[in-house]
Amino acid sequence: MKQDYLKFPLHVIVHPFDGFWDMKYEQKGRLRVALAIVALLILAMIVQKQFSGFLVNFNDPRRMNSLSEIVFVLFPFFLWCTANWSVTTLMGGEGKFRDIVMATSYALVPMVLIYPPMTLASRFMVQEETAFYYLLNTVAALWFLGLLFVGIMTVHQYTPSKTVLTMILTVIVMGIIVFLGTLIFSMLQQIYEFIANIYRELIFRV
Amino acid sequence: MTAKKWIVSALIAALLLPSGEIYGSSPQAADFASPAAPASEPAPAPYESYNYNYWEEATPMPAAYLPGRSITGKELGVGDFVEPADLHISESGLLYVLDSGNQRIVRIDGDLNEAEVISSFDNEGKPDGFANPSGIFTDAEERIYVADTDHRRVVVLSPEGKLIRIIQNPQSEVLPQGFQFVPLKVTVDEAGRVFVVARGVYEGIMQFDEQGDFIGYIGTIKVKRNYIDYFWRLVSTKAQMAQMALFIPTEFSNLDIDHKGFVYATNIDVGSKEPIKRLNPSGEDVLKRFGYYDVAGDIYYRRTTGPSKFVDIKVLGDGMYSALDSTQGRVFTYDENGNLLYIYGGRGNQLGLFKTPVAVERMGERQFVLDRGKGSVVMFEPTEFGLNVNAAVRLHYRGEDAEAEAYWNRVLELNGNYDIAYIGIGKARLMRKQNKEALEYFKLGMDRKNYSVAYKRYRREVMKEHFGTVMSVLLTAALAFAAYRIARRWKQRGKRGHEAGLS
Repeated sequence: MKQDYLKFPLHVIVHPFDGFWDMKYEQKGRLRVALAIVALLILAMIVQKQFSGFLVNFNDPRRMNSLSEIVFVLFPFFLWCTANWSVTTLMGGEGKFRDIVMATSYALVPMVLIYPPMTLASRFMVQEETAFYYLLNTVAALWFLGLLFVGIMTVHQYTPSKTVLTMILTVIVMGIIVFLGTLIFSMLQQIYEFIANIYRELIFRV
Repeated sequence: MTAKKWIVSALIAALLLPSGEIYGSSPQAADFASPAAPASEPAPAPYESYNYNYWEEATPMPAAYLPGRSITGKELGVGDFVEPADLHISESGLLYVLDSGNQRIVRIDGDLNEAEVISSFDNEGKPDGFANPSGIFTDAEERIYVADTDHRRVVVLSPEGKLIRIIQNPQSEVLPQGFQFVPLKVTVDEAGRVFVVARGVYEGIMQFDEQGDFIGYIGTIKVKRNYIDYFWRLVSTKAQMAQMALFIPTEFSNLDIDHKGFVYATNIDVGSKEPIKRLNPSGEDVLKRFGYYDVAGDIYYRRTTGPSKFVDIKVLGDGMYSALDSTQGRVFTYDENGNLLYIYGGRGNQLGLFKTPVAVERMGERQFVLDRGKGSVVMFEPTEFGLNVNAAVRLHYRGEDAEAEAYWNRVLELNGNYDIAYIGIGKARLMRKQNKEALEYFKLGMDRKNYSVAYKRYRREVMKEHFGTVMSVLLTAALAFAAYRIARRWKQRGKRGHEAGLS
């Protein structure tokens, strides 16, 4: 039991091919763990913005907002999952939405593991050493991308080239979703304005 | 009644004390303070004083300069100035107003009370004068150099107004056929070389030797290729191309020279990030731009107003320089590293605001701005804030950071948002090996480079101090761990032996 919660995510990031297979086909993945990882990432990013050393912290503390940080992680995460699900459903992917969410969040584990210690270390760094900070953060990002690639490939049982294609398509679909979202939003706003105006007219004239 | 008197005298004492402390504490302070000691209470600022902070926001700050009085030709008894084009203050403290509309030079004494007029000179037996002159300069021997624009010459006069030399009609292979020499502004270095900004010359500043022979150009402004323009040129037809603006460098608008022989020049290249240049003798731009943002005047401006357009520059000594922006009528003063120190001036009709400012000059710590539109010279007196900033910057430039600290502290008392003061104190603390305090000040001043230096020293200091403790703790822990392992192994061996014994 404990194996699936703590050790399994750590196993996945170093043995991605086995790990993602087990996650899907041996039912080792847990949705609760996946969401916990996203929550931890949010925490790690907030902590990094707030507490990383002066030399690497270029954020204006007056404009720091934890709520917007949450949105900054959650929104792209679910947007990616939705877009990927939409694309792969049409392209013969085997993964369910649940699998996509789990694969994506398990791939985020390196970031969760690397960000907090680097935040702490950056407080004791001088200018020349900040290169390591940026290097390790880049490593975390590249590791995440690699894991995401393997995860999507395993979950959907794709060939590598098809995986790359679907990932590119997913990004495009993300853009389309955002576009449609803004469109609907602005239309709703117009409708609301219209109704509100009619109401106002009625109040003043009738 | 007596209580009231007491309160009044206490107030006066409180007002006098801090300034007395500042200027009395060090003997050097005297030469900063004395020329500008305000005789009368200056008028309140008609403009809003501000500066840009690290986050590039305009933050309010106390005024560094306040308008003292305005000087007109009428007051001096020489008749109103008509479209005056340039102002220069000689090293001996005389003001030279180039009264272009009246084709004359007005020389005003340092007390700003008396004036004399030079309107003609004797040129080989014939009386000669100026035609729409637009630039004036005096060298260390008080010789007057006038850019006599419509006569296409530079006239050099002795202090008495006798003609010494005329520079005209430059001859050189680099000059094109039928070249028209139309001088606008003129500056002279200590060796007597003459630098001239001329109209229609895109190659840079024209340089003449002491005999008045043309040597060459310095400081050509490079044309930056804009890829969008480049693309449009690529796809447009010849007829369209002929209608487009040419990619030619902009001309310089004004110049000044420091005692090391470096020429400070301004150009009105709209949208340029480097409208101010400091040219070394070989003509390269060596201005330091280490501030938070470009040395280009206002960072934010309304689109309808446009960016700052520098029409004059004045070297203040110790690396400082002031540049006059004609768009908003503001004077921007920078230090040696390109930090924006303070801004004063504006457009309008009140005293201290300008219609068409054309020249900025300095006398000691005072500054003078010539307003062509109003035909007057406005004298600006530094406030206590301005004096302290100037003193601190000058001391810092000379490497006397420890002495500068007292001034920076006073600056911070007057304006807690002044980032440069925090950095200045940080540097002083760093010199005194107070690394931890320096660290905090650099952080307040958002100076990451110096913060890193201070932190490195502080870290080493702490590590040295605690090396013994840390090592003993680590060694003890290692020993304890080893002992634990040995004990466990012993136990296990004993257990195994016991089990073996059983079977």
